[in-house]
Amino acid sequence: MDFNAISENASRLGARLQETFSEHTRDLNLARASSSAYLDNPEEKVKNIKKQLDSNSDREKLEAMKRLIALISKGRNVSEFFAHVVKNVASHNLEVRKLVYIYLLRYAEQEPDLALLSINTFQKDLSDPSPLIRAMALRVLSGIRVPMIGSIVVLAIKKCAADISPYVRKAAALAIPKCYSLDPSHQPELITIISTLLRDRSPLSAGSVAVAFSEVCPTRLDLLHPHYRRLCRTLIDVDEWGQVDLLNLLTRYARTMLPRHTVSADSGAEEIDSDLKLVLTSAEPLFQSQNPSVVLAVARVFYYLGPPSEVSKVVCPLLRLLPTAPEVERVVLAHLGTVLIGIQQALSPFYNRLLVRADDVRQVKKDKVRLLCAVISTDNYQPLLREFITYADDTDDELVADAIRAIGYCARLIPDSTQQCLTALMSFIQSKYDVVVAHAVLVLKSLVQIRLQSPVSASISASTSTSPLSIIARLAWRIDEIHHPKARACVLWLVGQYAAVETQENGASLHAGIEGVADWAPDVLRKSVKSFAAEAPIVKLQILTLAAKLLVLCPTDRTLELLSRYAFALARYDLDFDVRDRARMLSSLLSGVNAAVVHDGESYEDPGGVTLRREQVRMILFEGKLGVSEPSDFGMSGSAVISRIVGLT
Amino acid sequence: MAIDGLIILDSAGRPIIQSGFHSVPPAYPILHIDALNNALSAASRPDDVDPVLSVPSLTIDAPSACCHAKVADMRLLCPISGDVDPLYAFAFMQTFVDILRDYFGQLSAETLKENFDVVYQLLEETLDSGGHPLTTSPNALRDIVLPPSLLNKVLSVAGVSGLATPLSNSQPFASPIPWRKAGVRYNNNEIYFDVAETLEAIINKNGTPAASNVWGRIESNCKLSGTPDLLLTFSNFQSLTDCSFHPCIRLQRWARDKTLSFVPPDGHFKLMEYRYAPASASTMHQVAVPFSLRSSIQLQEHGGSFDVTLSSRLTTRAMDSVTIELFLGEGASGASCISSHNASWSFDLRTLTLKWELKNVQPSGNYTLRGTFTSTTQIPRPSRAFRVRFDIMQHTFSALKIDQLKLAGEMYKPYKGMRGRSAGDIEWRW
Repeated sequence: MDFNAISENASRLGARLQETFSEHTRDLNLARASSSAYLDNPEEKVKNIKKQLDSNSDREKLEAMKRLIALISKGRNVSEFFAHVVKNVASHNLEVRKLVYIYLLRYAEQEPDLALLSINTFQKDLSDPSPLIRAMALRVLSGIRVPMIGSIVVLAIKKCAADISPYVRKAAALAIPKCYSLDPSHQPELITIISTLLRDRSPLSAGSVAVAFSEVCPTRLDLLHPHYRRLCRTLIDVDEWGQVDLLNLLTRYARTMLPRHTVSADSGAEEIDSDLKLVLTSAEPLFQSQNPSVVLAVARVFYYLGPPSEVSKVVCPLLRLLPTAPEVERVVLAHLGTVLIGIQQALSPFYNRLLVRADDVRQVKKDKVRLLCAVISTDNYQPLLREFITYADDTDDELVADAIRAIGYCARLIPDSTQQCLTALMSFIQSKYDVVVAHAVLVLKSLVQIRLQSPVSASISASTSTSPLSIIARLAWRIDEIHHPKARACVLWLVGQYAAVETQENGASLHAGIEGVADWAPDVLRKSVKSFAAEAPIVKLQILTLAAKLLVLCPTDRTLELLSRYAFALARYDLDFDVRDRARMLSSLLSGVNAAVVHDGESYEDPGGVTLRREQVRMILFEGKLGVSEPSDFGMSGSAVISRIVGLT
Repeated sequence: MAIDGLIILDSAGRPIIQSGFHSVPPAYPILHIDALNNALSAASRPDDVDPVLSVPSLTIDAPSACCHAKVADMRLLCPISGDVDPLYAFAFMQTFVDILRDYFGQLSAETLKENFDVVYQLLEETLDSGGHPLTTSPNALRDIVLPPSLLNKVLSVAGVSGLATPLSNSQPFASPIPWRKAGVRYNNNEIYFDVAETLEAIINKNGTPAASNVWGRIESNCKLSGTPDLLLTFSNFQSLTDCSFHPCIRLQRWARDKTLSFVPPDGHFKLMEYRYAPASASTMHQVAVPFSLRSSIQLQEHGGSFDVTLSSRLTTRAMDSVTIELFLGEGASGASCISSHNASWSFDLRTLTLKWELKNVQPSGNYTLRGTFTSTTQIPRPSRAFRVRFDIMQHTFSALKIDQLKLAGEMYKPYKGMRGRSAGDIEWRW
């Protein structure tokens, strides 16, 4: 050994290394962008890929595979390279092999014929010493969608189902549904494999077996009989995703196979089957999972299986999820909304966790208001009402509408609060924001109607400033400030409907108004007729109705007659079909009351037919109104399917 | 339960990473990406898009929805269809993001593009082609997918990439405990606990709290050799409610005597989360907000003026990075302010939000911001509340303390460290 030789070798090696390094100076830009360089692929590099894949160097192959993956991530279809890639599946380099598998997993479905060529390699890989390779080989094998190889896949699954590594057994379980969807005729063999896997003591594969079971033989719940109790007990050791699937399966089993809890009528004692109890007690600790979907799965178990006293246990864990992320909050609130009926009592102490923040997502705001409405009770209506009043200042019009409607709901639900609600609503009428005024008017309308319909409350509060009639009077005075068409129409209708006053009480001596008509009504008609041309069609219709009603109440008044005549004359030439039609109908109704309105001062020939008397017309215009039409219950119907997309979107 | 796949979009709405979509038409992922991009461009504020978007389905019987979440400058998007719980999709997204953070640290579209091969390997290992999550424990994943490191890059440049794999001393799937690597060795055995608490409160106009809750989280960084079996006790566990735990915690033990008994995973993990509910809860709101905000806002036509004063109620501690935000309403077009103490303010034309930033708020200090804003709408309608966020270092609301940490199963004595940090996210109505 002479020293020279060594040093020569060393220097040669050094030179060689330097060469390699300098050759790839671009790659040596280590700090940044060495990999992202793959993402901007020039076309000639793409052409080069095939050559690189066929080369002997692992380095070249690796680079080619990375380029391919980069192309995939750019959304390009690179199935043309399948034949070249598949050759490398037996590569000794684990890194190349993993990338090859990633490629194969993606394209095996599209190029089944070529994948078939390499089927021997996959089968050989099923006996690889590394469980990772065994699992990957099975995943690719089950991904090749050629019915012809169905039996080979079944054999492979069978082999892997008996593997020593639980990870491979898990992969086997997940391969079962794919094999089944490819060729349902393999069902009997697959069911045998599933029942083998069900006996597996390792909790790792339990969840995947549940997946396979639910897809291949969802109705064969009898297979679970020998395993039910063990599955319940191992629940806690299963991985979190498996817990979700297993809980769903166990819920289904328990609902089908186990007797429901019974509540004895006299003592109220609940009786519950011991096996049913088992699934509840084994699931309950999982409420403490960090994974929100597990918490929801447990909540589902309690909701479907728990006796009434236990259903409320879902409240705290679900509320705990709210601050974790805005997306989670959105979904959990929707779920709370669906299960609302059984848990209202349990939810109400926590109402302050449901308060709406100004920066919540719109749907979250909606759901929160709905839940808050559901928990209103005589104990907590004060703070809740204050909240709703605050929300009316929000920048989101939908929340404003919901909040004002909630105030109306509160007023109806809790009689004590009515006074407060009305005060709040009346103050909204003076708001400078149209949307607030409009919704306040709409809610006031239905409140007024309800109170006038129930004689008791009407007589009680007749003297106060928030009595129904004085509310209408105040609305009538503010008609100029109400711009929203719907709200305007609403006020006009109210004025017309409740304009009648008892003549004997406030006779002509009290004020100089028109006999039989409240003193604020004619002025509303005057103002609205003045702006008739500029109104929305819905408002025009109500102006006509108002004119007709007032005229019926006092047919002899000259001013009213002139106003009505003017209104009907305008309506006759209106652009809107409905308005013309309504005018024609009302004027022919009124022909028996005041002929001048109909004929507009000119003489027309009598169209014939029946002319109604004043009392009859009054009956038609004022009576037989439908009850209050208001979406009053905030969707509190008992639709109770938890966790479905349909319920959310 | 199975999701259809996972797509990662960059800030411009183009897909960077996409899982394989099997057994659905190729148009399916594109349909979802379009649905999201359309919804985002239609929304007046980017935060106002519903996280669960209904997407018109290709088949009649299976409704489909697009679950999406913003992560750094990217958006993750998870199409689901049929009878699948959106929460399952969000849980998976969160898990995947945690894994990506574990691998790459700070996330951005740029980092993912640089390491796209690793991301693809991770995606393939965490999500089965049927849409079922596979291996999601970071410890097990690190054995299968090598994290990017300088060494690997040097080796791959030198052309000896194959060598990198056998260097790691553990075989994939060799550990008997799913969440812990086998054969971990450290020279110094240490474990750190970071307690982070967040005060979430809503303050009414008159300064009284409408709601106030403290949410805590204990993050842990474990560098212990072998298979240590730990027993952790807190000095004031009574005040912790609504707890949730890492899967490694033995739940029966907590239920029995409120001690945490566990074999920890290696590296970073989230040990537990809790809500702090003071034991002597005579009043409902124990934790006071550490500042007060006085504001007067006058609205005029096409604009308004405001005067806001923030005063710290803390007597000894300083608050860090305090931000006060106010949405100035649709049509807001500009603002000009004068701030005391040279604090910075800005108005974002995209979100229409005025932001006032105070890097450091001294104990009992007073800070003011005066200014005016303009709006194109005649009657401007600014948000009804300020959003105030702050940090306080070295402090926790609950004053949680570790009583003792016992170790069984190994011979060494571990070093334990603990520090606290608290933050606040307050809505202050005016």
